[in-house]
Parts: sequence; structure tokens; C-alpha cells
Amino acid sequence: MDAKNTKMAVLDPVGQPSGIFGRRLNADSPMFAIHDPTYQPRDTAENLSSLKMAERLDTLEGKTLYLVGTGFAGAREFLEELQNWFSKNRPGVKTVLKNKASSMFTDEPELWEEIKKNGDAVVFGVGG
Amino acid sequence: MENDYGMPTAPIVTARFADYVERDRRSHGMALRFTYPPYPVGWVPRETLKGYIQGNDPVTGVPLVEEIDNALTRPLSENEKTFKAQIRPERERLLEPDTEENLHRLFMENGWTDGLPIVLPTEERVAEMLTGTDHAPDEHVGMMSVTTHEERLKYTVEKCAVIAVMAGCRPEHFPVILALGESGRPSLPSSTTSFASMMVVNGPVRNEIGMNSGLGALSPVNYANSVIGRAWTLMSINFGDMRPGATFTASTGTTINYNNMCCAENEEQSPWKPFHVRKGYKKEESTVSLFRGWNVLTQGIGPSQRMLDVIKSLGGPFGGAFTFLTDPLVAKSLKNDEGYNDPMKLSEWLVKNTEFQFKDPERLNFIVVGGEMNPMWVTTDFSHFQTVVIDPWIPKAGIKKDARPLRMPEPVACAEGTCGIRL
Repeated sequence: MDAKNTKMAVLDPVGQPSGIFGRRLNADSPMFAIHDPTYQPRDTAENLSSLKMAERLDTLEGKTLYLVGTGFAGAREFLEELQNWFSKNRPGVKTVLKNKASSMFTDEPELWEEIKKNGDAVVFGVGG
Repeated sequence: MENDYGMPTAPIVTARFADYVERDRRSHGMALRFTYPPYPVGWVPRETLKGYIQGNDPVTGVPLVEEIDNALTRPLSENEKTFKAQIRPERERLLEPDTEENLHRLFMENGWTDGLPIVLPTEERVAEMLTGTDHAPDEHVGMMSVTTHEERLKYTVEKCAVIAVMAGCRPEHFPVILALGESGRPSLPSSTTSFASMMVVNGPVRNEIGMNSGLGALSPVNYANSVIGRAWTLMSINFGDMRPGATFTASTGTTINYNNMCCAENEEQSPWKPFHVRKGYKKEESTVSLFRGWNVLTQGIGPSQRMLDVIKSLGGPFGGAFTFLTDPLVAKSLKNDEGYNDPMKLSEWLVKNTEFQFKDPERLNFIVVGGEMNPMWVTTDFSHFQTVVIDPWIPKAGIKKDARPLRMPEPVACAEGTCGIRL
């Protein structure tokens, strides 16, 4: 067999699965921690699979809907327009507009507690 | 919010990233109900945003506000209640044997390269690369992902050797490659904003492996600089799971991604302490320092006042973070003519005279690189994120060199008065 048709074995260059996922940063993470792998890998597939979605509401009427801006470009303006739409078309739905204080990457437990205490559902936006 | 606070949630992501977040659902084991307005929502008129809200989700065809309502009120299906995170299968160590031509095609078509020809990682070549360290082939080195949230891929010393072979490295380069792997930091982060990375080597290993810190240190005139910088990108592609449009979203991208401005600091000609020493490492330690940012401006010339003018005109992703690459002539002038014995003093002066969000002199760095052909400096808005010590990866017997190490031509020196003219 000539060299051109000789088969050769090579090693696979792709990394192996770890079952470790990045998820979110703590509120007290250092500045720019999102760019530091040290702060990312914290969730295993097993842990993530135990997460549950919340039960849904029967209706939005008479409920308080938090609109939370992520911090990406246009998010604030988009949610302001969404709030205007609800005011005009669904006045029975109370909306509260909030924007994340730090960045789109960090955890903000105080805001989540406020929403839990005063709200019934959340719209997060806008990603991308 | 769903799990921890029991709060029904409707996440909104632009349609451009529908595929991205659908994968995120699978990898995170939660069937979140996304709503997708058209893209983009940033920097568009209010009337356009109103139109998005009154219109349909372009992915599902459902009216956007109806979709938000459904996300919050439609009862959960059994699938949504029992959704599980998906883990990828383990990969085989060896690929299916094939001809050299077909294997080159396979690597290219699978997106395992940077588009340039590679050296195929045969067992023989990888075994030779492994002689560049005392560490066992199956030793875990790190994990990496170009994204901030998807599954990290893990890699061993042998996997790093595969990358080093592909990049064209020799065993003498391997300790630096392993230090890059240890960092866990990809050179190609998954941002739409087209980040660039930079790596700078300090310490004795620079000269041991023939790195260039002098004339043309950032240009393709040095073997070690070229292949080590390339290896970081091949590592990011294969360990960081970089797939264009899927996990890699740099809108314009940058040519810096090919080689990551890989260079060494010109410690011999610098009037200042080496960069790694200023960061707390010993002079006799060898390190690789990693940086990231958006912009690189060349053609900088003039005293410190001119540096201030330039950074005032730049924003950058990390407000107030800059790294200057200065020719030794500039560093000497800053020291001798302006009295900056320590570049930190210059950082403090620059920070004091700017209005950036973060006023931290530690985030304004100086590295001495260049061949003293012109007193110029390069301005970057790069942040220094990490320094990794290379020495633990170097064999006890020292750097494994070839009998005749491969080197490109040294720059023609001026010492004998020829000043660049080949006689």
C-alpha cells in the first residue's frame, strides 16, 4: 500500500465531559469574576437535575408582575415598553419595573427576596 | 427564581440566541419557557420595540405578549416537571484510523483547528511531546468552556500534548502549554463583542525555549511565540468547546485570536522590574500572564502626557483597565526623563487624571516588549486576569530540548555598526 493510502491512528483532540456547569455568580464575587473560571464551575448535572420549575399562576389578572432588566443593551427600554403595553391593554395586571443593580451576571438575593415578598411572577429580559 | 423562590418566570431572549438558550435548557435541566423578540433590542428606536411587543415571536409565530402570559400561566407538562440535565458521552482516546489526507479533512471539517494546517497528533508524536514534562499523561490538568454557563470539558496532560502537537510545538514548549491549560481560561470567550486575549511569558524559560521579546516580538518572526500562542487557541477550540454561532458569538471576531499576542517580556532591556516580579513572583520563576480586552492601538509615541490622552479616548470592556506594551526605549525614557522608577507610579498618575468607573492603578499595567528600533508603545484596553507559574510543569532535569533546537533567524543586531543591513 502506498503512503497516500496508508491509514494512521491519531488522538482525539476534544476535551472530555466533566458534568460541571457554570451557573451564576454570587453577589459578592470579585469584579469581573465572570471572566475568571475560578468562579464558574459550581453546579453538577446531578444538582441541576434536581431543580424544579415553579407552579404556574391560574391568571395574571389581579397579580403583581415584576419586570426585571438584565442590563444588556436595550433591556431597560424594552421592558418600559412592555410595561406601557400592560398598562394600556391589561390594566388588571400590576407591573413593577426593576433593573439589576450590578450586572447581568451576578446574583442579587435582595431583589429576589423583594420579588418573592411582593410579586407573583417575573419577566426577565432581555438576553442577547 | 423558579427553584429557589418558587416564582413563575418568563425569560425573554432575542431570537438570535434562541438556539443558544435552547441548549442551555438541556444542559441546565430546566425547561424554561423563553419568549423571543426579534434581534436586536439594543440601540433601536422605541417604535421598533413597540412593534416587537405588539408582534409575534419570530421563532414560534405566537403573539409575543400571549407567549409571556402562557409562560406564566399554562400548567407545567410532565416533561417540564421531570426535565433532566444532559451530560455528553465520554469520548474515545483514538479516532478511527484513516489516511493522512482524510484525517486532515476530518480535523478541518469538525472545526478542531484554526483553519490553518495542523500536525496530526499521532501516538508517536504525542508520546514525544509528553517527554517535555515529568507529569503523568493521565493527570488532570483543568477544565474549560468558552461560555460562562455550559458544561466544562476536562483535559489531561496527554490531551494538552495532543494540542501542542497540532500547533506545531516541540517538547521544549510543552511546560508553557500545560501552564495555559492549568489556567482554565479560554482565549476565545463567548461574547458578541469580539474579545482578544494576550499572553506574556516572564522568567528564565523565555530564553531557554527561544521566545522573542525584542524586535518584532508580536510579529510572526519567532517559532516559540507562534506555536505557543496558537496552541492556546487550539486549546480553547477543543477544550472550551468553541463552535462559531453556537458557543462562540464574536460578531466581527479579531485576528488576534490566531496567536493571542504571544510574546515574552524584554527583561534584559527593561529599566524596571519584570512584570511578574511586580505581581509578586520571584525573578527566577517562570510565569505566563494572561490578559483580555477589546482594543489594540499601535503607533503610540510620546511621553506620559500622550499616554493619558490616548486612554482618555478609549473605553474598553473593563472601564479603566489598560495594558501598555512599551518598547524598551520608551520605558527608559519614562524612567530617565520623567522619573518613573516604578511603572506603578505612572499608573497612579494616569488613574488620577482620568474619570473611568474604576480607579485602580493595579489595573493599569506596563510590559516592556520590543527591539529598540523606535520609541513607540502599543495601547490596549486589556485587563490582567491571571498569572500561572510554569516551573511545576518543567521536568526535574530541565527543559527537554532537541539536540539542535529549531530556531528562526535572530534579528540582525546593530552591535557591529551594521544596524540592520545584512552584509
